[in-house]
Amino acid sequence: MSAVTGREAMIEVRGVSKWFGSLVAVSDVSFDVGPGITALLGPNGAGKSTMLRMLCGLARPSKGTVRVLGSDPRSDVDVTRHVGLVPQQETVFEPLTAFGFVRLCATLHGLPDPDGSARAALATVELDADDERRLPTYSKGMRQRVKLAQAIVHDPRVIVLDEPLTGLDPRQRAHMIELFHRLGGEGRCVVVASHVLDEVERFGSDVLVMAKGRLAAAGDFREIRSLMDDRPRRIVVRTSEPRVLAADLLHAGVVVGARIEGDDSILLDTEDARRLGRAIAPVARACGASVLEVRAVDEDLEDVFRYLVER
Amino acid sequence: MSSATPEAVSRGPAGASSFVALYRLLLRLQVTPLRIVGILALGSLEVLLGALARSDADPLRATTEIALGYGLGIVLPLSTAWLATSTMGDLVEDRLLVYLWLKPVPRWQLPAAAMLATVTIVVPLVAVPLVVTAVVAGASQLIGALLLASVLAVVAYAGLFVAAGLWLRRALWWCLLYILVWENGLARAVDGAARLSIASYAQSLVAAAGDIVVSYADRPSSASVVVPIVVGLVGLVLAVIRYRRAEID
Repeated sequence: MSAVTGREAMIEVRGVSKWFGSLVAVSDVSFDVGPGITALLGPNGAGKSTMLRMLCGLARPSKGTVRVLGSDPRSDVDVTRHVGLVPQQETVFEPLTAFGFVRLCATLHGLPDPDGSARAALATVELDADDERRLPTYSKGMRQRVKLAQAIVHDPRVIVLDEPLTGLDPRQRAHMIELFHRLGGEGRCVVVASHVLDEVERFGSDVLVMAKGRLAAAGDFREIRSLMDDRPRRIVVRTSEPRVLAADLLHAGVVVGARIEGDDSILLDTEDARRLGRAIAPVARACGASVLEVRAVDEDLEDVFRYLVER
Repeated sequence: MSSATPEAVSRGPAGASSFVALYRLLLRLQVTPLRIVGILALGSLEVLLGALARSDADPLRATTEIALGYGLGIVLPLSTAWLATSTMGDLVEDRLLVYLWLKPVPRWQLPAAAMLATVTIVVPLVAVPLVVTAVVAGASQLIGALLLASVLAVVAYAGLFVAAGLWLRRALWWCLLYILVWENGLARAVDGAARLSIASYAQSLVAAAGDIVVSYADRPSSASVVVPIVVGLVGLVLAVIRYRRAEID
């Protein structure tokens, strides 16, 4: 599969598997990623972080190959000049300030002006380089921004972010997403892992969907979203007239199954949740039923991804 | 972050500046009040023993025995193990290694910086009490040997224990076991085993300076200088090998 649409591949993953003893974390995954934002979407435990670690060379694939800018990130230390990573972990170097940390990274990258580069990177994420406080005193959101600053201080061509919006408030999230778009727009390859569907929707990007260590889907987000929306859904409707409403919804052809649950609920199976959503109110009105609640019972990401994997 | 293309940003070769940056970082991570006070407390007991040795019939011999049995046998290896196992071990446990691994820095630099940082911190903390002990006991002719023995032993232990921090889980406990069971137990009790004891080489230098004969510390002076350095280097190589192969979390 490929998330690249007519662009150069900056990351190439071919038949990659990774196992730890008997646990298979990633299974036979192949994809290409080009410039712009690509979201790596999947529930917790899907293998996203393991895949990101292999993209950065932090872990060696048990099978298959990973190429970043044409090089093996595991063996070619030089390729790290062009890769920036925001890891998921929250731990930081406790004795350091934000400036000290980002400056350290600039120095280790061999930048000619570590101070200037660190100040610029911190300004990009809206942090004060002159803040004397040590990193442990920072809020979770501020630490996330410091981690992003250290990842971009050396102007990398490939930026890998593992759940980067965790802990940010809405304004900071908006700013970060805008920054990701800007970095992607500059021709960088920005890979963002997330388990939050709505978050990924805001990236408006190409998407790689991982579930149970496998690549479940890849492509434009709208196509993936459409696949997700088209899957069979289970909806619970609480109503004053469950038997009548269930019969009328079946008759209207918007559900494929209905089961009465208790005194006031119906469990509905539908293949078109949007159509059902539009039909419930008029059908209920026509049969004199009051609708008290409508909710999906399988809306969590696990179910969405399970559907994509088993499709 | 500038908007320049990556190719336009000139980058110097990774070398001395990156090594110094790593070294300074590890120094800052390792120097904590608890560690300094803990090691100095062990050393102050040594000075107290030195003061008591002054009233001994043979203060030189008594001071030498304190230095061999307690200073070089217990305080020095324990202090080195405490710091050396954590220099890189803490980075692994705290999942901070990712920030250092993903940099265009030769892989030997971090273990080497860890070893150097350990030596920098431990040598003054263990050598100064040893020297003060010798002065207090009136055995100042031991000072040169004590300084040399301290440096060499810390180099050897630092190499081994930095490697242990990367290779072993709960490395500090394994190192403590090694110090107590091997260095202070079998190496002293079993004939020939002292040849495989780091302390034995350092102790030999001090025993020679104190002009006393100790069965577990009678290595030739040349070996007492060369072997600890070789052991330290072997430890460093093992640490680098492990670091190069490590899967970073």
